[in-house]
Amino acid sequence: MTEAALAIERLEYRYPGAPGLALAGVDLRVGAGEFVVLAGRSGSGKSTLLRAACGLVPHFHGGEIAGAVAVAGRSTRETGPAELAAAVGFVAQEPETQVVSTTVRAELELPLELRGAGAGEIARAVEEAALALAIEPLLDRTTDSLSGGELQRVALGAALVAGPPLLLLDEPTSQLDPVAGEELIALLRRLNEESGIAVVLGEHRLERCLAAADRVVALDAGRVLYDGPPGRFGAAMLGPAPELATPIARLFDLAGLPASPVTVKQARSLVPAGVAARPADRRPVGEPPAGEGLALRCRRLRVELGSRADPREALRGLDLVLDPGERVALMGPNGAGKTTLLRAAAGILAPASGSIEVPAGAAMLSQRPDDYFVRERVDEELPGDAGAAALAAVGLDVAGDADPRDLSGGERQRLALAIAMAGRGAGGEPGGLVCLDEPTRGLDRARKEDLAGWIGGLAGRGAGVLVATHDVEFAARFATRVVLLARGRVIADGAPGDLLGGGWYFATETARVTGGRAITPEGGAPLLAAPRDPLAREEAR
Amino acid sequence: MSSLFAYAPRRGPLGRARPWIVAVYLAPLATLAFAFANPFVLLAAGVAAALAGLAAGAGGAVARPARFAGGLALTVAAVNAIASQRGATILIRGFDLPVLGRVDITLEALAEGVVLALRIVVALLVFAVWSACVDPDRVLRAIRPLAARSALTATLVSRLVPVAAADGSRLAEAGRLRGPAAAPVGRAALARRLVAGSLDRSVDLAATLELRGYALARRPFRPRHRRQPGEAGLLASGLAGMALVAALALTGAAGFDAYPRLAIDAGPAVAVTALAIPAVALAPLLGDLLRSRDGGRD
Repeated sequence: MTEAALAIERLEYRYPGAPGLALAGVDLRVGAGEFVVLAGRSGSGKSTLLRAACGLVPHFHGGEIAGAVAVAGRSTRETGPAELAAAVGFVAQEPETQVVSTTVRAELELPLELRGAGAGEIARAVEEAALALAIEPLLDRTTDSLSGGELQRVALGAALVAGPPLLLLDEPTSQLDPVAGEELIALLRRLNEESGIAVVLGEHRLERCLAAADRVVALDAGRVLYDGPPGRFGAAMLGPAPELATPIARLFDLAGLPASPVTVKQARSLVPAGVAARPADRRPVGEPPAGEGLALRCRRLRVELGSRADPREALRGLDLVLDPGERVALMGPNGAGKTTLLRAAAGILAPASGSIEVPAGAAMLSQRPDDYFVRERVDEELPGDAGAAALAAVGLDVAGDADPRDLSGGERQRLALAIAMAGRGAGGEPGGLVCLDEPTRGLDRARKEDLAGWIGGLAGRGAGVLVATHDVEFAARFATRVVLLARGRVIADGAPGDLLGGGWYFATETARVTGGRAITPEGGAPLLAAPRDPLAREEAR
Repeated sequence: MSSLFAYAPRRGPLGRARPWIVAVYLAPLATLAFAFANPFVLLAAGVAAALAGLAAGAGGAVARPARFAGGLALTVAAVNAIASQRGATILIRGFDLPVLGRVDITLEALAEGVVLALRIVVALLVFAVWSACVDPDRVLRAIRPLAARSALTATLVSRLVPVAAADGSRLAEAGRLRGPAAAPVGRAALARRLVAGSLDRSVDLAATLELRGYALARRPFRPRHRRQPGEAGLLASGLAGMALVAALALTGAAGFDAYPRLAIDAGPAVAVTALAIPAVALAPLLGDLLRSRDGGRD
């Protein structure tokens, strides 16, 4: 039997001062050259397990540990992360804090220099890593001039440059658009297949990466809930943890089909004949209330970013109107102008020309809710009656004496939203426009469902809701309208069924399986189900 | 928000040279800023530093600290003129200020303030040229084998500065996005939050450094950088500049006394030195500058 790239036995771990165990008896063995996807809800222990596998737990984080972790046969108790780094590379979620050098070349050279490698060895390894990751053109750029996706690739290069046989990644695609995210997964699969590097990839968006995996391990409350092939994962999760099941698995389950395919290709091959002849699902996600007035109007809006000496046009003559009660998903690749439009609506950016009207004002929640917290208590952030009303509106009126940073991820997001909306609108109603920038970053599906519910509630109370997102599955769940931006202009504007049903990248899994006839598993299931009488199908809906 | 001093890879001798060569090249200008008070000599050093920055293609990177230094210099000159009550030549007599009481503005105090300001401007210009042209990674690499812990701290700080600048910018924006009924965010609260966040960020950066192998006990490899074109010229310029500085110091030809009456050496030695300093500083950069301009025309 060959030596495992990673062997974990009965691992228990508690962070310093934490009341409960973060990992509670985890057994896991990753063979050389395996590609393992690590699934689980937020807080299930994925990040902790990855940190234990590279030695940061317990050497860097402290805490109490029991059980054994061995990387390429070396115990992480006796070997620190620095020495283990030759055997394991680790890429965390936040790209900004994963580079420590001024230039990309220096970043790739650093791990080898610190191991005492010679100049020739360093030069060769850096060139090879750069070529493998397609970052060769970036080598002489400074790291602070790189985009999030480029930084993530550089961090991956620095983790790989010493040639470790095991690579650990903690949600590396969470900040990338669908194109960049799928490119990264494809790159990991290529490294795994061609170089034999074992990969353990922690991810929430399983639909992106299951096709690349040899095996899936799901964690729940620090324990292994599932450890097996991707083909059985979807069906296995439908009972104990349905929020981990992929859209395809849910689609087939709802349709009553016994198979649980992993890829769109497999799913399409299993779709019963005659689906194309059935009527497409074009139900709205919800009826928008007949709100009065206007939430947002942009006329020939141009916004420039950058310095006065070197301006860059981010929005180029954009026209858009949003009514109260509408739930709009604003989509497009990185750099399309989504965040710029939200910031202009919130009054952070002024138009260079054209106009933007937000008659009832706009509240904006940026990508990092924690940026809104500057006090030690929730009720200090939102004092007085208006503050209490804002807290009650997001269901946090009972958490007044809590520290904002002690709240769960979803609660922190709602508190930040309450801070942004406090005092806006009238009579306790949100009113106006509510802008959310990438709100699903790092959220599991259960929290996304909660968020979709909150968005529906805001729209139901008369607010126009504009959500910039890369998450097509989330957009399909909450939006009544999708606006697609590219290079600062609106290139498509229509119903979710039309825009998320027919594209290459901006299409949901269900749309790909059903040929665009439905975009959600709930909508697609009646299409795939065996024909029944019309009354029964209507009941199923 | 971006850092005041920004390195970027640059062509030309200053961008290519090893850090110690650039240090020798800039040493005479820095020495003049710290050790001399003659305004003609200081002006010459300032012009030399600015021309070096321009010739190195770092005009923009030098202009930002220069603007900052200009504002700071004006403040220093004004404060010194008000705070120093020495000097025999009264320009403005007797006005009352809170705390300070009756204040006279003298020519000598004003001149001393201007000289102090000039020294600040020159020092900042020299540092701006250094930080715009010298790769901090190469400097840290040089320090690492000698003082690993200090290099670790410097690495953390050098990365934390741009990260904290980005965090500060985001926090300020989130402050502007708060609803009218949310608690107002003052500068103190923002600063407190930024410091707390920076601690978290530095822990993440420290974890990254740990994973890169900083804690390895073995003596790290010290790369030997090859000689670069133009280094000899920079070295010669630095040494010639130091010779000029030494000659000035030994002869005492560039004197400056503010009190009791203004006395500034402005003889032929000062004039020659003031012309020679920018010429010596610019000489090793001229060839490359002209070649790049010719190339640009082609």
